[in-house]
Amino acid sequence: MTLERNTLLVALVGALLLPFAVTDQYLLHLAVMALFYVVLATSLNLVVGYVGEFSLGHTAFLGTGAYTAALLSTHAGLPLWITVPVAGLVAAAFGFAIGAITLRLQGPYFVIVTLAFAEVLRLVANNWIAVTNGPMGLAGIGQSGLTDKREFYFVILALAALALYLSYRFVYSNAGRAAVAVRENRYVAQSIGVDPFGAAMQAFVLGAFMAGLAGGFYAHYISFVGPEVFQFAFMATIIIMVLMGGKGTLVGPIVGAVIVTLLEEYLREVQELRLTLFGLIVMAIVLFLPNGLMGFVARRREQHGSTILRNTPAEEKTV
Amino acid sequence: MNALHDAEPLLRADNLTMRFGGLTAVRDFSFEIMPGEIVGLIGPNGAGKTTCFNMLTGFYTPTEGRVRFKGVDITNRKPFAIARMGLVRSFQKTNVMKRLTVFENVLTGHYLDGRQSLLETFLPGERVRRAERAARDSAATIIEMMGLGRRMNAPAHLLSCGELRLLEVAVALAAKPTLLMLDEPAAGLNSHEAAGFGETLRTLVGRYVQSLLVVEHNMGLVMSVSDRVVVLNFGQKLAEGRPHEVQANPDVVEAYLGKAAA
Repeated sequence: MTLERNTLLVALVGALLLPFAVTDQYLLHLAVMALFYVVLATSLNLVVGYVGEFSLGHTAFLGTGAYTAALLSTHAGLPLWITVPVAGLVAAAFGFAIGAITLRLQGPYFVIVTLAFAEVLRLVANNWIAVTNGPMGLAGIGQSGLTDKREFYFVILALAALALYLSYRFVYSNAGRAAVAVRENRYVAQSIGVDPFGAAMQAFVLGAFMAGLAGGFYAHYISFVGPEVFQFAFMATIIIMVLMGGKGTLVGPIVGAVIVTLLEEYLREVQELRLTLFGLIVMAIVLFLPNGLMGFVARRREQHGSTILRNTPAEEKTV
Repeated sequence: MNALHDAEPLLRADNLTMRFGGLTAVRDFSFEIMPGEIVGLIGPNGAGKTTCFNMLTGFYTPTEGRVRFKGVDITNRKPFAIARMGLVRSFQKTNVMKRLTVFENVLTGHYLDGRQSLLETFLPGERVRRAERAARDSAATIIEMMGLGRRMNAPAHLLSCGELRLLEVAVALAAKPTLLMLDEPAAGLNSHEAAGFGETLRTLVGRYVQSLLVVEHNMGLVMSVSDRVVVLNFGQKLAEGRPHEVQANPDVVEAYLGKAAA
């Protein structure tokens, strides 16, 4: 708990200083994308890592958020400061509606139905031309006076910090423990008074909200939104990030997001091979590091006999 | 017994019947648990004990019959809603959260004490911090009381069988039950461990829980701990009474050992 919080704070300070050290626009773009993925991976991790259900439909919330911001901006001319929070709220509402159906299912059924919802939304985006402009997408989304990559960087850093703050509070709260109880053992959870559906719903809606924020930001940053935002390729990238970094930890998805963003960029030259390589990486992780890089680090610490800072009562009193 | 019957029972099951297709697992089973009582529920394998447990705690909805807890009909309520009323159970197969530590397990058990609004989750105030501290202190106290103090920070999957049994009870106690129901809590314990476990159970009643229902195969444990024993056989109540009465009951002896040679 304390260890995780300190790591996050150090990462935040590092991220705040980064744009003062790096002025190259290309590198700043990479940093913006990495932070964008940090928000997405963190939001998916709430569902995969803490509720323990594998959602393949997370792009539904990313896309809903992106289209919400795009429509509000192109039609009503609203600035980013308004569209992004609204995008989060609309995505959260979608999360509630989709969760109300899917969270009654578990295991493979949940996986398939969440995937179906994302696909349905992609088809809607593709075909409801009056609103979404179909495959042409919505272009020319206003940038609200943000011209410099560095300014966008601070916006997405603020969103990432918000996402991690909310996650941190949730995970270490009574509600987060209830979600973990459902993940670990549905029967025990019920016998101590946890409503499994309600506990999962909280994490699911929170994840949808964050993904919606990220989507809203994406719309303004790229200044174009098309049906691709619902595509499975996005989903696959986010999953790899969560699995590689370590699901069920807060630091894991950050590490995963940064590594995968850089890999995607620097493996661009080997276009076709890139996906094959990702496939191999995922297989290797599932086989050798089932808890991801952070799980591996935690285990190494245990083996070295260093006292892991667990939530002991004595420690908490000093907080 | 008569004195007890004047009081309102804490739990009352009336004519419970559970059918799975053509199989009747439990038939017309009625019994009561009084405040302050330790009741043992015994019976040969397949007698319907666990089915009864599941009906009482909402995991099964009985085909017929009603369950009343604290005077309220809970027959069709969901398990978590019943737990919130103060009826908490353990499970037959060891059921703890294996990847969490002993402390985290018991802390999680305090869920009902620490429920909070969404706003409080994200902007915790003094009230939440106080509840959190109280839950942590209480978790530590329960763990010490169950004799798991040394294992406080051990992951549950590293515990021995006996320690797991104690942890299960500790998690259930953390939910502050009025009536605690334990399904074969001593399974896998040797007779020495079981005796110690029985001692622990006796100290719970009155201090941590009002009443206790124990399903158990270990006769020594049931007979020494229970105030009253209910015997199930083939899904029906065979006998009921004080431990020594039940032990002397010829029907019970027959159910367990078969008919004596004439």
